[in-house]
Amino acid sequence: MLTARSRVMAAAAAVVSTTLLLASCGDSDSGSSDGKTLKLWHYEGPDSAMAVAWNAAIKEFEKTHPGVKVKFEEKGFEQIQKTAPMVLNSNDAPDLMEYNKGNATAGHLSQQGLLTDLSAEVTERGWDKKLSAGVRTTSQYDAKGVMGSGKWYGIPNYAEYTMVFYNKDLFAKYKIAEPKTFDELTAAMDTFVDEGITPLANAGAEYMAQQYLYQLALSKADRAWVDSYELYKGKSDFHDAAWTYGAETFADWVKKGYISKKSTGTKAEDAGVSFMQGKSPILFSGSWWYGRFAAENKFDWGTFLWPGSNMTLGSGGNLWVVPKGAKNKELAYDFIDITMSKKIQNLLGNKGGVPVAADPAAITDPQAKGLIADFNTLSERDGLAFYPDWPAPGFYDVLVSETQKLITGSAKPDAYLDAVQSAYDKGVRDQ
Amino acid sequence: MTVTVERGGRGGGRIVEAHHRAKSPRRPRDSYALFLLPGALAFLAIVIVPFLMNTGVSFTEWQGVGSPKWAGLANYRELMDDAEFWASFRHSLFMVLAMAAVPTLLGLVLAAALFDFVGKHFGSRTAAVLRACFYLPQVLPIAVAGIVWSWILAPDNGSLNELLKAIGLGSLQQDWLGDPDIALYTVMGVMVWVQLGFPLVIFMAGLQRVDPQLYEAAELDGAGWWRRFWHVTLPQIRPEIYVVLLWCTIAALKVFGAVYVLTKGGPGGATNVPSYFSFTTFFEKTQVGYGAAISTVLTVIILVLALVGLKLQTRAEDAEQGVVR
Repeated sequence: MLTARSRVMAAAAAVVSTTLLLASCGDSDSGSSDGKTLKLWHYEGPDSAMAVAWNAAIKEFEKTHPGVKVKFEEKGFEQIQKTAPMVLNSNDAPDLMEYNKGNATAGHLSQQGLLTDLSAEVTERGWDKKLSAGVRTTSQYDAKGVMGSGKWYGIPNYAEYTMVFYNKDLFAKYKIAEPKTFDELTAAMDTFVDEGITPLANAGAEYMAQQYLYQLALSKADRAWVDSYELYKGKSDFHDAAWTYGAETFADWVKKGYISKKSTGTKAEDAGVSFMQGKSPILFSGSWWYGRFAAENKFDWGTFLWPGSNMTLGSGGNLWVVPKGAKNKELAYDFIDITMSKKIQNLLGNKGGVPVAADPAAITDPQAKGLIADFNTLSERDGLAFYPDWPAPGFYDVLVSETQKLITGSAKPDAYLDAVQSAYDKGVRDQ
Repeated sequence: MTVTVERGGRGGGRIVEAHHRAKSPRRPRDSYALFLLPGALAFLAIVIVPFLMNTGVSFTEWQGVGSPKWAGLANYRELMDDAEFWASFRHSLFMVLAMAAVPTLLGLVLAAALFDFVGKHFGSRTAAVLRACFYLPQVLPIAVAGIVWSWILAPDNGSLNELLKAIGLGSLQQDWLGDPDIALYTVMGVMVWVQLGFPLVIFMAGLQRVDPQLYEAAELDGAGWWRRFWHVTLPQIRPEIYVVLLWCTIAALKVFGAVYVLTKGGPGGATNVPSYFSFTTFFEKTQVGYGAAISTVLTVIILVLALVGLKLQTRAEDAEQGVVR
């Protein structure tokens, strides 16, 4: 039996321990709603065009809002991707946050009521007039969280698209001209294979492999096909001509040696490094690589849009979203407004980003001019086809896993298409 | 202080401190209870309550935000038919082999070799340095170790393949983490490297408390190294072996970091394990109810294994001491 003194001590210890535990479980920062602090999160690498532009925007904001402090927290993409619903559901939500666009991400959060409807601000501040139709698609979500229509839940300040990056020095060494057609591209790859070089840098363990396959399918697709797949405006049949061509051609390219069988376990970073080291003469990926290649490539290089295809992967960039529980929403809107200004947009363009509202005459860097010109070409022909993993939560992992099987040969194209169809149908149904 | 062991009786065998009993009428556990209280409360708050909440969530269909919908046993029924889930459990058994069985066996042999041979012939300092080297992977964060290993095992220009080529064994070069037929074995190899130091250190500590007279007596009786190892070392450090096996088996069942960094469950699901499967279900697919069902099953399996292991250990120790329960 405990003595009376022991019981008192035990009770005191219990109270202290419980208090400590509860304190540790509780919110650490109740945030400020004094209109004097803008709590901002984003995950762009410090050297990227976006981060440079947004750092400038922070300075501009503090200049135009005397007495207001920007409390910036650098986050990781994965970190925000995995924890956003929990963070936004708590008192720790920032006032403004960068977030991934698409049905399974921003759409999902908007459907759950975690994001602020920005429609009124968009009209009032004229942001809608600055964004082209293709870029705008990922900003609006309907009541089911499907992009393309409905209320505005996010604003992108930049765009992104995929292109063929190629090593001009290696092409010159083997006397290969820049490919203008799909046949010329495959002929160039044949020449590299004959020389014992695997032409395409690939990453089977991450997004790159599935993007090659999707691009091949897109070369046989049109806007209605993309809308069926991404916006559920029709039934997606993975055994149709486009998907079948994509899967079969991809498997064939592995057989022909255009894509290394050993790329199953490699990551996007490995593929990028392989291109930068001059080991792989061609890399097909997004404009997010552009700034890094410009800074680090030790050889002459260039880019061109995927030949023989009107459509390619791309969209508006990541979104600025204002959490439902944000405490300083007006400040957040003001910050977005600054990032949409010509000054910041021009800076973003000159640093290797793809601005959405820049003054073309103010972009002075010749390579940046080419990058933006290609985007304008795509935009004019309504060629942004989004990304293959967007339609359903968890679909990214399915595509990685199934495409890996296609690379190793453990699954034939038909089995690949069956597996992807089944996961797509289930994912869309469960949404 | 006099310590006696009571055998039999109503309460079974127990150790009592005779001296204290004579001096104070209060039983020792009364005064210990106070010290246990904060720990018990912390255990309740960070283990029991979340586990019960997780179990509750496993009976719902929920996307992590919004209101969960009651689903009864639907998630568990789905789990029973989920080939991916069972495949991940099969991979877990391979991990038990790599993280518990092999390191324990190798750890025993290495500990005995360091203690008996290296320590005696090259000095205890050399043995301590070697022990620290084997233990180093345990100190390294798994994310760092994983990234370094992914460089070593890279198919093109990875150090392992380059080494094989340099010594004329180029035909043995492999896509270590990218080939679905060998990726699991490669991850197992890395995990043996990671895990080996733990049993080694525990066993070496155990060997130091073995009475040297036992070895001397065995030697005088003409027992060679192997007989001494089998008849003296092994029985003497049996408690350590139990602890190591139990600890490592639990670690193997919940292995996550290495799989996340090295393969992300690939290629084609070849290295998927329940904890990673649960993670992707929670955070990628946002099927929180289903992910909770996976975690609950995993926790129950670990709990059962831990209890069985502890029971076996207690029984063996009791048998050794002649205690009847």
